Amino acid sequence: MTKRSTIMANNYETLVLLSPELAEENRKGILDLLTSIVEREGGNMVETDDWGLRQLAYPVQKQTRGYYVRLVYDAPGNLVAELERNIRITDGIFKFMTVKLAA
Amino acid sequence: MAFRKKFTPRKKFCRFCADQELPLDYKRTDILRDFVTERGKIIARRITGTCAKHQRRLTNEIKRARQMALLFYTTVHSTDVKKRSSM
Repeated sequence: MTKRSTIMANNYETLVLLSPELAEENRKGILDLLTSIVEREGGNMVETDDWGLRQLAYPVQKQTRGYYVRLVYDAPGNLVAELERNIRITDGIFKFMTVKLAA
Repeated sequence: MAFRKKFTPRKKFCRFCADQELPLDYKRTDILRDFVTERGKIIARRITGTCAKHQRRLTNEIKRARQMALLFYTTVHSTDVKKRSSM
């Protein structure tokens, strides 16, 4: 990472919706992968908030339940694109959303 | 003329202006649920009394919550209805 991008770090939050059919170790594997991407790309993990298994408001991929995890991190903007690219590739992630938090 | 003052509606106020601590966030569906109808439609601000500034943000947050399956778009899609109809 260049010096400039580390200075321009923003606070982001990504909420991911994981399949309820994932085994515990697979779920941990996905989260470890995402965390490692954040760290590798010059970001700084702030918080991992595990909401657990929840009832969904509407079925997603025929599942009425889902596992939510919220990741909070400080990162330069180009990390978000890289993280979302990896989320799209990974199996077992139904939905995700990244939001920039107010400073 | 006699019925001119049938009832005086209570003065509406913006809940987010009145309580600055009240979070306006897509994750807080318990609060957002007050601003959508039973069928999931966003309630107009002339009904709820929310100020223009907060209504704009509120709309965004409700739409975010819908995307993440925290709120339903319409009852036809909701898990409750789907469960009942599949039985």
